[in-house]
Amino acid sequence: MSEHTTSNDAVGLDFDSEAGVATLTLQMAGRANKIDDAFGEGLTEGLAWAKEQEGLNGILIASAHKDWCVGADIDGLYNQRDTAAMVEHVQGLQQLYRSIETCGVPVVALLTGSALGGGYELAMACHRRIALDSARVQVGLPEVSLGVMPGAGGTQRLPRMIGAQAALQIILQGRTLRAPKALKQGLVDELGSDAEEMRAKALAWIAANPKARQPWDKKGFRVKPTPGGEDARNLYMVSAAMLYKKTAGVFEGPNTALSVVQQGLRLTFDRALELETRAFARLACGDQAKDMIRTIWYHRTAAAKHQGLPSVEDAGIAKVGILGAGMMGAGLAFVSAQKGYEVVLKDIHQEALDAAMKHCQEQGARLRHLSEAAQGEILGRIQYTLADADLAGCDLVIEAVVENTAVKHQVTRAIEPLMAEGGIWASNTSAIPITDLAEASAQPDRFIGLHFFSPVEKMQLLEIVMGEQTSEDTLARCLNYCKRIGKLPIVVNDGYGFFTSRVFSAYILEGAQLVAEGHNPVLVDRAARLAGMVVGPLQVFDEVTLSLGKHALEQAEQYLGPVDLPGVALVRRMVDELDRPGKAAGRGFYDYGDDGRRIWPGLRELASGVPDETGVAILAGRLMLVQCAEVARAMDEGILRQRRDAEVGAVFGIGFAPGSGGPLSLLDRIGLSAAVAAMDSLAERYGERYRPAAGLRAMAEKGEPYWD
Amino acid sequence: MPEAIIYDAIRTPRGKGRKSGGLNTVRPVDLLAGTLEALHERNRFDTAEVDDVVAGCVTQTGEQGACVARFAALQAGWDMDAAGVTVNRFCGSGLEAVNHAAAMVASGFFDLVVAGGVESMSRVKMGSDGGAIWDVQTQWDIGSVPQGISADLIATRRGVDRAQVDAFALESQQRAGAAMKRGAFAGIVPVIDENGAVLLDHDELPRPNSTLEGLGKLPAAFAMMGRDYALDELVRARYPEIERVEHVHSAGNSSGIVDGAAAVLIGSREKGEALGLKPRARVVSVGLCGTEPLIMLNGPVPASRKALRKAGMNAADIDLFEVNEAFAVVPMVFMDELDVPHDKVNVNGGAIALGHPLGATGAMLLGTALDELEARGQGTALITLCIGGGMGIATIIERI
Repeated sequence: MSEHTTSNDAVGLDFDSEAGVATLTLQMAGRANKIDDAFGEGLTEGLAWAKEQEGLNGILIASAHKDWCVGADIDGLYNQRDTAAMVEHVQGLQQLYRSIETCGVPVVALLTGSALGGGYELAMACHRRIALDSARVQVGLPEVSLGVMPGAGGTQRLPRMIGAQAALQIILQGRTLRAPKALKQGLVDELGSDAEEMRAKALAWIAANPKARQPWDKKGFRVKPTPGGEDARNLYMVSAAMLYKKTAGVFEGPNTALSVVQQGLRLTFDRALELETRAFARLACGDQAKDMIRTIWYHRTAAAKHQGLPSVEDAGIAKVGILGAGMMGAGLAFVSAQKGYEVVLKDIHQEALDAAMKHCQEQGARLRHLSEAAQGEILGRIQYTLADADLAGCDLVIEAVVENTAVKHQVTRAIEPLMAEGGIWASNTSAIPITDLAEASAQPDRFIGLHFFSPVEKMQLLEIVMGEQTSEDTLARCLNYCKRIGKLPIVVNDGYGFFTSRVFSAYILEGAQLVAEGHNPVLVDRAARLAGMVVGPLQVFDEVTLSLGKHALEQAEQYLGPVDLPGVALVRRMVDELDRPGKAAGRGFYDYGDDGRRIWPGLRELASGVPDETGVAILAGRLMLVQCAEVARAMDEGILRQRRDAEVGAVFGIGFAPGSGGPLSLLDRIGLSAAVAAMDSLAERYGERYRPAAGLRAMAEKGEPYWD
Repeated sequence: MPEAIIYDAIRTPRGKGRKSGGLNTVRPVDLLAGTLEALHERNRFDTAEVDDVVAGCVTQTGEQGACVARFAALQAGWDMDAAGVTVNRFCGSGLEAVNHAAAMVASGFFDLVVAGGVESMSRVKMGSDGGAIWDVQTQWDIGSVPQGISADLIATRRGVDRAQVDAFALESQQRAGAAMKRGAFAGIVPVIDENGAVLLDHDELPRPNSTLEGLGKLPAAFAMMGRDYALDELVRARYPEIERVEHVHSAGNSSGIVDGAAAVLIGSREKGEALGLKPRARVVSVGLCGTEPLIMLNGPVPASRKALRKAGMNAADIDLFEVNEAFAVVPMVFMDELDVPHDKVNVNGGAIALGHPLGATGAMLLGTALDELEARGQGTALITLCIGGGMGIATIIERI
């Protein structure tokens, strides 16, 4: 029995004198254990306390919170610009972790919850990791997703633990693994079915390993593959190539991490930590980390928590009807059923329903952490039907039929009356103003836009569009649905193309325009990637198909007036005259063959001439600024309700350069005055689409950035 | 300025650079020492008069580490006053040794220097010496791909296709075969063992009966690493307009991996007269340049232009060219850029047929050019090689 307990701000301390085992329980104020000064001091104190205990045989590190330790305190990271101070902070943490693994008695991490980033680095500094056998428990190193890399020994301990190749897979991709998989990959050593069993296993291990030391502290330790050897040379060259292929080299975190792993493994463990510290401090104090943290951490979290948005306790949505069983409809049916909604999926073609059912079954089978019965339960919630009548009693109907106002009006009139009392009608249109679509509705206050992105299982964003008459209550209820199906919302006001489609159109049309001007299409897509865009404009235009693009352009002209751009004419010609409708047909800007895609050789002949200047910098500048100009216009027109939605919508909806933090962050980084000058100059040469909106111009004049 | 006179230039035959190769049982130091002994045998100079032995060697690790030149001179039984230095300018090392020796003589600092090189590729694996070139940091800051991908990139950018490089390779094989038949490689000294038995007395690699069909069947050697392992992507960091690298180089149209050594005796006119040596040629000028390191293999043209400019010559003034056939596209680009006819270039074949013993090749090519000038009664030759890290080296010689 424990005879001695105490605690400090971060850690509860308990000594079981019978077993000679001290338990340090992470129990920081708030809901999570995160790494800040209190954490460091508390753990240091706790370790010292444990070492004072008479008859100490081992130490357990446990957690009183749901998670074990979720990593660095982001505020501390985000606000530090001084590399010397950052180095000092990180060194302190590294010394603490080092003192744990060299304390002379075995230390076991009891991972009853997730251990992420600096939290998992603490777990690695223990001699053994025992995790709860639950898919809820995740471990890993997600640092690169915030523009940094592991900085508390992760780049050096993980490759020494599981080999460089396996470690790089995790570090470079910022991966986290569920406990059972983490066991297979060696990130944890043992699983326990509950806290009690975990503790028993830990005590047994301590008893059996009284002289536990880290492998890298043992004489003759060798990391695999041998640094400098042929296998290592090949591993690092191929890793660099694979990383470059995936990212175009635009993310500083993984680039640096790869180099630090390679260099560090040639050194002793302690000297290797110095490399990691220097690199981490440079990254963490750099622009990319700040921009990524602001958008991908702060704005995304605020959006995910619906900050500044209305909420309701009970949305009154149990049964969801989905009209149109295409890719989108099938995906919506699945994600809704997965979260417990009763779903009716309706189409006018049996083949579409059959395909949708197959899609849902495939998605269900991918949920490997669920039993077959649980998967079956999800699929059983979806009813596939050709009959309107089956939609009776739906609390929410999401219409995902063709992008045609007349058709959408028609289905609204036919099906809206079947909905349950107080039911909400949502259109998944990607561009048509909700207010126009609501003209066919008898309840325009309960008529809203829910613009999902394809593939809906994978894409996080949901753009919620408020029609002129949509009520806040309707919004609140839809936000409730949004949260339950795990989507990330932005809420925008009505207007053709809303927010994301406007910016996306500006991007892909500019791609076509650059081709029409005679720029090398290969360079156009490449320049976009080098500017950080997730996919080049021509590639993504092919993917959404040129034929749909052309249809959207015609629709847009009804709202925005005719567009007289060679790029638009080029798209029309591609579809109407040249039969190159896009990727689905195997022919678009690219040819699609067995060995991948290549720019269609005839494309350059469609150009109107030869540009007087070209190159990555020029093309990247145009592709990015044309989007920024559109964002600024949308802001002036009141489309955006919150500034953060510009960043969240662009990054998570349309693959706007994640490393930039989004269009507003990018403008800040360029400097608003410089950006305005560049946009004015582009507007003079290439058209008014580049012209900076009044709001942006005013901010530039005042010298105000979008973000502090 | 004193002249740098070439008194002799010899080489070993080139053995296949694998375990079954004719020279595999010979230590690299012995390969070079044997060549030094043969040089001494042919010219009977007092080895105490040799100021330095400058040997090119690329993979200076393992048994090629620790200044193989010094130990080769000692192993050859030369006077201990004959010093030794090993130089690494990648594939240009052998010619670098020649240029270095010539410069020391021309400066008047030294009077008699032996230049040369050695590479036992069957025993010391290419790349096993490591280096910053393998660092990820180098990749991010400078850019680097395996040479074969650089060669394929050059071909892609210039629109050179597989049929063209194969045709060039076939010509190399046929020329080498014809040269061997008529005994054109007069500078070859056989490699003998400690019992005096001949281990190898002819170049082992050439396949004079190659056909275009046969060459065409060989797989593109760098396609898998380029596509499956994504190394082609790294090209796009420096060449963003490249959509895809066309892989045209194969084992059949790239230089072969071989073992060999070479030695060149270079001295001042006065020292040669004092030692009774017969001058064969003089070094007219040299050229060295750096070029973009990722594409790496574009050096021969600017290096040669530099050497020509220094010599006050035009390409048309040169009778014979030796352009190292690291990859077929390299001499093809050279001929194209300098407007040189193929019948003046690599007239006895090149490394595609004969092999490329990295650190020795430059010195070997100089001997090949000199032998052929003499055989034809012609005057001038230019020797040039492309070099890793994006460099080029050239030397112009003139018969005396």
